[in-house]
Amino acid sequence: MKKIIIGENIVKSFGVGNEKQIVLDGVSAYINEGEFVSIMGPSGSGKSTLLYALSGMDSIDSGQVFFDGKDLSALSEKELSDLRRTKMGFIFQQPTFLKNLNILDNIILPSMRNKRKSAKEIIDKAKKLMKKVGIAGLENRDITQVSGGQLQRAGICRALMSDPKIIFGDEPTGALNSKSAQEIMDLISDINTEGTAVLLVTHDAKVAARTERIMFMLDGNIVSQLELQKFNGADLDGRIKKVTEKMQEIGI
Amino acid sequence: MYRRIIRNDMLKSKLITVTTMIFVTVSAMLVSLSAILVVNLSDAIDTLMKQAKTPHFVQMHSGDIDVARLADFAKRNSYVDEFQVSEFLNVDGAKIVIDGKSLADNIQDNGFSTQSDKFDYLLDLDGKVINASDGEIYVPVGYMKDGTAKVGDEVVVGSKKFTVAGFLRDSQMNSLLASSKRFLVSENDYAAIKDVGSTEYLIEFRLKDLSQISAFETEYISQGLEANGPTITYPLFKMLNAISDGLMIAVILLISVLVLVIAFMCIRFTLLAKIEDDYREIGVMKAIGMRVSDIKKIYLAKYAVIAAIGCILGFALSFLFKGMLLENIRLYMGGSENLSFALLFGIVGILLVFFAIVVFVNGVLRRFRKISAVEAIRFGASQEKNAGAKRFTLTRNRLFNTNIFLGVKDVLARKKLYATMLFVLIISAFIIIVPQNLYNTISSKNFITYMGIGNSDMRIDIQQTDNISEKATEILKTMSNDSAISKYTLLTTKTFNAKMEDGSEERLKIELGDHLMFPVHYSEGRAPRAEDEIAFSVMNAEELNKKVGDTITLVIEGKEKKLTVSGIYSDITNGGKTAKAVFSDHSAEIMWHVIFAELSNQSLIDRKVSEYADKFNYAKVSDIDEYIKQTYGSTISSVKKASLTAIAVALMITVLVTLLFMKMLVAKDRYSIAVMKSLGFTNSDITIQYVTRSVFVLIVGIVIGVLLANTLGEMLASAVISSFGASSFEFVVHPLSAYLLCPLMMICAVLIATIIGTSRAGQIKLSENIKE
Repeated sequence: MKKIIIGENIVKSFGVGNEKQIVLDGVSAYINEGEFVSIMGPSGSGKSTLLYALSGMDSIDSGQVFFDGKDLSALSEKELSDLRRTKMGFIFQQPTFLKNLNILDNIILPSMRNKRKSAKEIIDKAKKLMKKVGIAGLENRDITQVSGGQLQRAGICRALMSDPKIIFGDEPTGALNSKSAQEIMDLISDINTEGTAVLLVTHDAKVAARTERIMFMLDGNIVSQLELQKFNGADLDGRIKKVTEKMQEIGI
Repeated sequence: MYRRIIRNDMLKSKLITVTTMIFVTVSAMLVSLSAILVVNLSDAIDTLMKQAKTPHFVQMHSGDIDVARLADFAKRNSYVDEFQVSEFLNVDGAKIVIDGKSLADNIQDNGFSTQSDKFDYLLDLDGKVINASDGEIYVPVGYMKDGTAKVGDEVVVGSKKFTVAGFLRDSQMNSLLASSKRFLVSENDYAAIKDVGSTEYLIEFRLKDLSQISAFETEYISQGLEANGPTITYPLFKMLNAISDGLMIAVILLISVLVLVIAFMCIRFTLLAKIEDDYREIGVMKAIGMRVSDIKKIYLAKYAVIAAIGCILGFALSFLFKGMLLENIRLYMGGSENLSFALLFGIVGILLVFFAIVVFVNGVLRRFRKISAVEAIRFGASQEKNAGAKRFTLTRNRLFNTNIFLGVKDVLARKKLYATMLFVLIISAFIIIVPQNLYNTISSKNFITYMGIGNSDMRIDIQQTDNISEKATEILKTMSNDSAISKYTLLTTKTFNAKMEDGSEERLKIELGDHLMFPVHYSEGRAPRAEDEIAFSVMNAEELNKKVGDTITLVIEGKEKKLTVSGIYSDITNGGKTAKAVFSDHSAEIMWHVIFAELSNQSLIDRKVSEYADKFNYAKVSDIDEYIKQTYGSTISSVKKASLTAIAVALMITVLVTLLFMKMLVAKDRYSIAVMKSLGFTNSDITIQYVTRSVFVLIVGIVIGVLLANTLGEMLASAVISSFGASSFEFVVHPLSAYLLCPLMMICAVLIATIIGTSRAGQIKLSENIKE
């Protein structure tokens, strides 16, 4: 299996002097192409920081991160931006949109940055994606005029616009009610089934149980991993049970 | 608690706090300065006019005079307190030589007087009445200031030699705007030089009651007493003394208002941004039951502190600078001792500035009432934005690059915030363009046509000489044989009696000749062409109450003749009261001739001027450019200086305000910037977006600024210019400079400021601003 991301001995700390706090303490991790992976851990364990380090959004103190074979630390700010725009998609806990733009504009924004396709193709694709995630008809709404679940779907559309190799999600369902959360997870599973790798940060066992590999973090280290089969809709409860048992075993 | 909140807040936003304070300080300083200057000026004028016992009514007169009849009139008239006739010996500038240099180039009418014995004293620089001894001469104070003379210099008048014993203040003619200047000599010396010039008389009265001047004036005129010359009254003397320093004070006040407006703008945009940042907190405070007035107090207190510190600093600074600006007033009019009153006025001035700021902040804070607690807590931001510009979407956008679209969109979506910056840029464009247009206008050769002088190359004046007509003919003959002269015309000024509606008669000076060859600028109508047409200067038309198309009856060669007013023009020559006509007349006495000529080759002007000056030594030959330089040279150069200063100041304001604004925007938009970076926008993409915002606002600002400059600015400028006597004028605009160079300079300034102001945007940490 080809690895799309490899992180080696990643060290990352915040603050200086006495207040210096090591958040990632020599972490190594990888993601395979098309793999569905999650990171679990208590607050402050460094799980979000690892996600941002692996996606190149945050700089690291030492260690290396390779994306598709390229060393991220060797890339310029511009190349890094290009990479993010064309190969990666992001979904955040709080939907991150520009207030001034309507839903459709927000979705097409990164693709319009430097067009690889015509505006019409971009807009058609956005509309198709919106229909797929169930928010067709909301194109001209302001971002304050739709619900949190709808907004998160719009975020997923935006992340999918460039046909990314991998999607990063930082607690994508954390701010949603359980029904919306389930729908979003179904959507993400579908995307993964179509071949896109997904890396999620979550503290929710129900979310983690849908992924095929779970990395457990504690105090800046990956302390354990749990490998499951690719989720095909069957036996969710059994998978959840495995995850919670593993959590109790580690002491999370 | 307030003290801690204010201190923390100021420390957090040092740059903007300091800038706002500087603007407040400068504005307070200027207001306080102008208050102090006003008190000093009016005080100094009063003192000077009291010490000099300035006459209440002066009739200037040249020609024969019947002093006994005048004395008799004064004795019988119940208004008159004191009366005297003083002589003024008008001497051609060329015949007055100070320290080896003659006053030939001087445009003032220089003359000599002796000290009066009853009133209208000429004072020394200590305010004492001067007694000139034989051989001594006292020189007008203006010639000390411009370096023409110093104590001990030798002055030669005709063949008589004098030594400069000191300088004098003349309550009548001190001002540069008064066209005559009096030198003081002893009675004996005066008698000795009397043949050098021509004698004019100042028929002077002091009245028992100053308010009766106009009643007295009517009586004087109705008696048909000597009146060949202008009449000047006490209020006019006062105005002449006040006008040049008064104009300076007016300009200072105007600038202080502009600076205050900019301070207001800084306050407004800091406040708006702060309110947006604190939206949730304000909502929470409202929700837990704090009164709007309590919340307002916290914000108000900060600006009250800034305003108070700025005002006190400004007041202190105004004392540092006041000496510099008072120098001129002290020199011309003497010092004023009324310090406490000046202080009081200054304090009133800065209090006004302080309260203006407090009221303004209160006004901006009024929007607190509109904040809904629920909305603020739920959304953490005002929902009122995004009004308009809804149809301007990225989806429909085919015109712009995405970064440019985002920049423009942001401006349209947050108009209120950008309105502040727009306003400052409009003001900047305005203060760059208006002085420049004003300078172009008054320095253009055509401008003299607004002043009542035809546009020619050479001007020859023939005045106060015998056989005046023969001499004029002689010059004309020479000109007609001179191939270098392409065209010329002779204008002759004579006085005529005009019959008024009420039956009274008025003496009018009318310039006869061809007025089409070197036309002046007519604000209404056109030049007279037919024998029965006449044109009036603005001042004459106002005084005679005539409009274009009206008729006036003149007595020409003993017969009454009706003339129609064909046009009205601006004029500053000869006291502004002139008339032009083309009829021929052989009876009235010629007052003076003026010959205008145009040369076929402009490069010959200097040579021809000296050639004619040598050949006809009884005439005054001048090059029109030289004439303009002498008349307005100092005005033109000070307007030029002012316009350059205005450009520098406006550009500085532009840079400073843009810089501040961009820094604030970046701080406010951290979140959006982080989002965009997470989506793969580079730092240069973000810089382009910010540059687009500021350039977009700037372009709108320049367009509005230019429009305002050409409408409101032209009105303002013509108000200034009409104070010199010209009316209805249009800006001469150099399009390259006004519409290309100046906007380019502003764009550069804004670009630099934006790039510096947004340089920190690249350092915004994605993860810190997106993670909740």
